[in-house]
Amino acid sequence: MSALTWARRDRGVGRRRIAVTAALLTVIVTAVGAAAATAGGRQAGGRITVLSAGDVDHIDPGQAYYSFTYEISYATQRPLLSYRPNSINAIPDLASAMPKYSNGNKTVTVHIRPGVRFSPPVNREVTSADVKYAIERGFASSVANGYAGAYFGDVVGAPAKATKGVPDIKGIRTPNKRTIVFELKRPDGIFTGSLGLLMTAPVPREYATKYDSETTSTYGMHQVSTGPYMIRNDASGNINGIGYKPGQLIDLVRNPNWSAKTSWRPAHADEVLFKEGYQDPTVMTRTILSGSADVNGDSPPPPAELRSIMSDSSERGQLHFTPSGGSRYIALNTSKPPFDKLQVRQAVAYVLDRNAMRLTRGGAIDGRIATHFLDPSFKNQGFAQAGGLGFDPFPSAGFRGNVAKAKALLRKAGFANGMYKGPQVTMVADNSPPGSNTAQVVAADMAKIGFDVKTISVTHSTMYTKYCNVPKNEPNICPNVGWLPDFHEPQAVLNVTFAGNRITPVNNSNWPLLNDPRINAAIARATTIVAPNARWAAWGKVDKMVTQSAAAVPWIWENFPTLYSKHVTPASELWNSGAPDVTFMSVSGS
Amino acid sequence: MGAIGSVLSSSMLLYIVRRILWGAFLLVVVSALTFLIFTVFPSADPAALRAGRQATPELIAQIRHNLGLDKPLYVQYWLFAKGIVLHFDLGYSYQNSVSVRSQIFTRLPVTLSLTAGAFVIWMIVAIPIGVISAIRRRSLLDRATMGAALVAISAPVYFLGLVALFLFSNDIGVIHLLPGAGSYTPLSESPWRWFTSLLMPWCVLAAAFAAFYARMVRGNLIDTMGEDYIRTARAKGLSERRVVGRHGLRAALTPVVTMAGLDIGILLGGAILTETVFNIPGIGRYAYDSIINSDLPAIEGTVLFGAFFIIAANIFVDILYAFLDPRVRY
Repeated sequence: MSALTWARRDRGVGRRRIAVTAALLTVIVTAVGAAAATAGGRQAGGRITVLSAGDVDHIDPGQAYYSFTYEISYATQRPLLSYRPNSINAIPDLASAMPKYSNGNKTVTVHIRPGVRFSPPVNREVTSADVKYAIERGFASSVANGYAGAYFGDVVGAPAKATKGVPDIKGIRTPNKRTIVFELKRPDGIFTGSLGLLMTAPVPREYATKYDSETTSTYGMHQVSTGPYMIRNDASGNINGIGYKPGQLIDLVRNPNWSAKTSWRPAHADEVLFKEGYQDPTVMTRTILSGSADVNGDSPPPPAELRSIMSDSSERGQLHFTPSGGSRYIALNTSKPPFDKLQVRQAVAYVLDRNAMRLTRGGAIDGRIATHFLDPSFKNQGFAQAGGLGFDPFPSAGFRGNVAKAKALLRKAGFANGMYKGPQVTMVADNSPPGSNTAQVVAADMAKIGFDVKTISVTHSTMYTKYCNVPKNEPNICPNVGWLPDFHEPQAVLNVTFAGNRITPVNNSNWPLLNDPRINAAIARATTIVAPNARWAAWGKVDKMVTQSAAAVPWIWENFPTLYSKHVTPASELWNSGAPDVTFMSVSGS
Repeated sequence: MGAIGSVLSSSMLLYIVRRILWGAFLLVVVSALTFLIFTVFPSADPAALRAGRQATPELIAQIRHNLGLDKPLYVQYWLFAKGIVLHFDLGYSYQNSVSVRSQIFTRLPVTLSLTAGAFVIWMIVAIPIGVISAIRRRSLLDRATMGAALVAISAPVYFLGLVALFLFSNDIGVIHLLPGAGSYTPLSESPWRWFTSLLMPWCVLAAAFAAFYARMVRGNLIDTMGEDYIRTARAKGLSERRVVGRHGLRAALTPVVTMAGLDIGILLGGAILTETVFNIPGIGRYAYDSIINSDLPAIEGTVLFGAFFIIAANIFVDILYAFLDPRVRY
């Protein structure tokens, strides 16, 4: 999960394409919740087999960032906070209680549970110093955690850039073995959410130091666990070629030092095997339906298979849809003409046929058409405050676009007869479906109001890393971008993507290059609010402001499908875009 | 010893040395081209991919430094080439920091298994069909087999592979016959499961080759059977079986052997499509994954490895020819 942009989720072939209608969604999410709630009565034992197309982004939990990796590492590691399958609210995991804020919300104190032990070969009990080391090593150049600065940069003494060696961060104190205290430079509205990231999962310094002192840490290949499972290893702790074969498999076995008394995870199965390399989603889907495997890990069933499953009453129940928590949108480059003009951008927002765009990804089954950025799964945590389903500043019948309105806006912008006249505009798009099809719809729609769009087609990762993430190379339009939050806080959706101060020369995720002083001020204010209701109201307002700026045009709140075999009891991580929670799944008849 | 000495004459040795040096030069060219294509043409930034979406430019710069990507291109290439020549070190994957050499060697037995089995099948199928078609030209059997061969050549491996899986695999197939995708088992673990898990990939991979080779054997044999020495053999009263088997086939198979050497070389470099469709963890799938992840060291490693096998097969075939026909040594 985490900065689950579609950039990353789409790695290789894994495209989460699908979704469901609102009614179906509600029913299914409720069903998942109910299923998870009955976890206590499930059978123990057996093996769960998860199929995936690709490998994890990083095997080291201290580097892990994306959804599939969290799916695995949440079963082997215990961050301070984590999530039950049907919930978007973090609860204590390694922590014994929720964090306590004091000193004007600038001091955060967390107590950790006694009795949590590292897996072999370390075997000893976890202390707060292990959590401190885990966070600090994220700042070391050998680990180079991608989100350390974004979520722990406000801790007093946190390095501004990666350090040679693991730094001692003064703002992280461990007054005793069970307590860790964070001193923040300023109140941070999402610091609690940050404590659910894997960077807070303990790492034993005395064991990890020799691996972390290499140019690129190899601790991941020798990692120890605190969760119910561990990656199969040898006596020295090495997992490479044993429980981890890159691109082939990850084999989780029970952690002998895990105690059920210290955890709310039931961990029914004895083994969880992640089989990688299923590049063909149809083969993967049918393998799960046949019962030879139990669930899809990183890529969903293709639309045709989804439709087939949904039409078969004997299989329909195996499919679970979960809201992604994010949206896909068309980013218009506000830093240069013609999209530096508000009315021109708004004209584009009006003319786009969002229904046709959704059809390029499978239609209604893929999700609800988005009218702003916070998706309905945020409910009263920002979605309702932004106006909920009723907020659509660029309405059109059936979401098919409104050419007349678009032309009227262009006339106001100074284009006689409402048709754009000016240089060709550039667009960098995916070179394969469904992204390439979406881009075609955008180009065709924009032609209706006079735009001549030149499309450069590249791979999805090239689109991001060489063009849309690099402001100096950025085209006028990036039609295949989107953002999934690292956790369910509106700030995790709207800050890095639309705050002017988050524009960077490389790896930029503010794709419209939006730098509006009014919006920047609203974002700056919202980031410091710790009280939940006030914070969500502030972010709801930011959502409205960004949407009205038409710097980006949201077009789908996508849902992700997870397919379970009939042999397992399903459990999907609502907070992690529907990834299966293998610690809550159980095998029937085992 | 004397016979070998006469065969390995100085001109022959010189020829072999020349071919090997040329092969080494080609490997350098291949590696340089791969490096150039990856770095010059638009491809994803490996440092940014590794860093993740929230990373700062400074962090990406640090990762770029860790990976050695901040050095001038010629230095990067020189370090890479030096590593290979001095230590046979193909570098470390950008994605998971695992040694590329170890990954390739771990996967080599898998690709070797796939290639060897497919080769046996395609030769066993192709030679009899080619011979029978040549001997019974324009017969119903000839037309049927050559028609089938055309279909097999035209059917892409990924299509044929999927059809085979949906028909015959024991998990998703209509007829539950053989293990399906992702079922590969090493020979050392279970010979029987190794055999059954590879049977379908072998057949799929062999299909196009068998068809192509059958057509080649047929064509060669038809040409050979028109030669004067065949007529002489028949005039001497030899049986038709002996004429075809002893005189005709021997000559007709020479180019087939040459071609087989090259094809085996190519496949040892990785049968990408077959390994991907059947989820076989060989070098071909490693190459595929590397391309998807913009993992240059792994791409370089697999391309070089493939090139090595192709060039080695070429040299082997050339040397074989030099033994058979002294004219090519000069």
